[in-house]
Amino acid sequence: MSGLFLSILIVVLAAAAFWLGRNKALGAVGGNLRDLHSLPGYYGYFSAIWCGLPALLIVVAWSALDGTIIETMVLAGLPTAADGLSDGELSLFITNVQNLVTGNIVANPSAEVVAAANHYRHLQSLSDWGMTVIALGLAIAGLAYARRAIVPNLRSRESVEKVVLMVMIGASAVAILTTIGIVMSLLFESHRFFQQVPVGDFLFGLQWSPQTAIRADQVGSSGAFGAVPVFAGTILITVIAMLVAVPIGLLSAIYLSEYAGPKVRAFAKPGLEILAGIPTVVYGFFAALTIAPLIRGWGEGLGLDVSSESALAAGLVMGLMIIPFVSSLSDDVISAVPGALRDGSYALGSTKSETITRVVLPAALPGIFGAVLLAVSRAIGETMIVVMAAGLAANLTANPFQAVTTVTVQIATILVGDQEFDSPKTLSAFALGLLLFIVTLMLNVVALMVVRKYREKYD
Amino acid sequence: MPDTMQSDAAQPAVEEPNIPMPMLAARNVCVSYSGKQALFDIALDIPQNQVTALIGPSGCGKSTFLRCINRMNDVIDGCVTSGSIILDGRNILDASEDVVRLRQKVGMVFQKPNPFPKSIYENIAYGPRIHGLANDKAELDEIVEVSLERAGLWQEVKDRLDQPGTGLSGGQQQRLCIARAIAVSPDVVLMDEPCSALDPIATARIEELIDELREKFTIVIVTHSMQQAARVSTQTAFFHLGNLVEVGDTEKIFTNPEDPRTNGYITGRFG
Repeated sequence: MSGLFLSILIVVLAAAAFWLGRNKALGAVGGNLRDLHSLPGYYGYFSAIWCGLPALLIVVAWSALDGTIIETMVLAGLPTAADGLSDGELSLFITNVQNLVTGNIVANPSAEVVAAANHYRHLQSLSDWGMTVIALGLAIAGLAYARRAIVPNLRSRESVEKVVLMVMIGASAVAILTTIGIVMSLLFESHRFFQQVPVGDFLFGLQWSPQTAIRADQVGSSGAFGAVPVFAGTILITVIAMLVAVPIGLLSAIYLSEYAGPKVRAFAKPGLEILAGIPTVVYGFFAALTIAPLIRGWGEGLGLDVSSESALAAGLVMGLMIIPFVSSLSDDVISAVPGALRDGSYALGSTKSETITRVVLPAALPGIFGAVLLAVSRAIGETMIVVMAAGLAANLTANPFQAVTTVTVQIATILVGDQEFDSPKTLSAFALGLLLFIVTLMLNVVALMVVRKYREKYD
Repeated sequence: MPDTMQSDAAQPAVEEPNIPMPMLAARNVCVSYSGKQALFDIALDIPQNQVTALIGPSGCGKSTFLRCINRMNDVIDGCVTSGSIILDGRNILDASEDVVRLRQKVGMVFQKPNPFPKSIYENIAYGPRIHGLANDKAELDEIVEVSLERAGLWQEVKDRLDQPGTGLSGGQQQRLCIARAIAVSPDVVLMDEPCSALDPIATARIEELIDELREKFTIVIVTHSMQQAARVSTQTAFFHLGNLVEVGDTEKIFTNPEDPRTNGYITGRFG
């Protein structure tokens, strides 16, 4: 029986258990609800949980693990001929066996493979039967236990709520475990990278050219892994983006929260949100096809040497993308400044602009600072715009008219396509990713701390 | 807006207390919020250097009237005011009146203390700065000290003027707000239930302060506490359902009110 069908069967059983449990509880008190400790529904859930939960957990765990276990058993059961095989050959062998089992065409299967496939099939059907029997057995045992346990003063509400609590804890754990998993994978791959390239060279090296030579006599592919120019490019583009986004975002937030009437707000707020809804890839076109040539044209008119993939173009468009982020967060922060402060200021005879610049903005400043930091970490992590509009050459320059590259661009280009995961070129992407993650994590932590401190002040 | 002062000067509802020129003379003041009328033809004289208490049940319009005197109702969308309030010979309800100048002359203290999230010094210096009242730092220091002194807060805070005003206790914060209001040397100080968020000790302190401030300023106070009105004011006005029911010397209002509604309210039969 397949796992899916079995799961459905268990759910149906659990539904029946709900009904049985509820009726048992009602029957036990002769329909008099006051004599029950909990509402009858809780007795239903109680028996449904006992019936369904352990069985479903077994099905999930079994399905997740049986492939690996069967593989190991098949390999262990192989004749000694397989002993001399390398890891790669072994996995090829197993793939062949699996293909044969699932009915895919395998060219000239050897006798060994066919034998192993038969063994595999046998084990698999055994495992399926085992899973079915154990899961259904558990479900029925759970149902029987619950039926026996249901008496009028059974505290079923408490048990059910405990299970709900466990489910919620499990849900939160998923997010946390995912983060840990991502960090771990970054750490392990970075560790492999740092075995080949010293940490100091990576952190402080001024040369970035990740091509490694395939042949010893190849020219210009020494493979330099100094992250400084890459991070310098990221910082340059982020600074340009923030120079665009912070003033525009902040001023529009002030206008929206303090000056705009409800009609303008009803129109402008969704407008800004549309800006936030544009896919970054579209911003990428816009930067590469509209803004970059425009800047280049202006630069030539002024006699400047502007690269067609200038940092300025990418930064400007990234700034545009971040405007709604800054303005919507700042708008919230400014609106959260208590009206009593504004009244106090007006009552002293200050004008609207004096009130805003001297009372409202200083009061909102920590929150605005937090919003800007969040926007910075967004800009640092932004990939698509820079992939399309910034260059690939890792120039160490502060000139916004030159092409620079960013961390995200490098990671994307390194990992696009098929890769060999033992060369420092590929692994360097993980080291860059790790460093980027640390930087944005710190920015986010600082931003959240500042924002929280600000919240405490008025609540 | 027509100047209606002439025609209404003889309106009998206003009982002139036994003092000279009124500081403020309100006539025919009507206020409506989004079409719903909240005040009906209020006529009230506020005598100079006296404390006038506005009492009445919640929603009777006393706060609305108070907020007319410094045009704070302008901030509220859909609020329409008509009539006249004469201060220094000018109708302050007139559209041409400069509210910035008006509010310098008519300060206000709110129900809940609302110090700015700045230092104690900056809280007081804010008003004088925006009105350009001090020529140099020494003058500003002087204004800050005098204002805090008058608000009875100087001794408590003189060593920590650079600390945030929000760190003071509720009663101290309210005195800080009073100091902030009088730092711009207003003629009139409006107080909107200034003690309702304070404990009895802080309340007593503020009431003492109101009595002292009377020498320098004309004070209008809205209060829900009849005892407070009786203790601090010289003139009391009773509002009910948007109408000014009765106004007179505090002693008379509380001992021998003419209107049965006033009597009912002060004896606690309604409100």
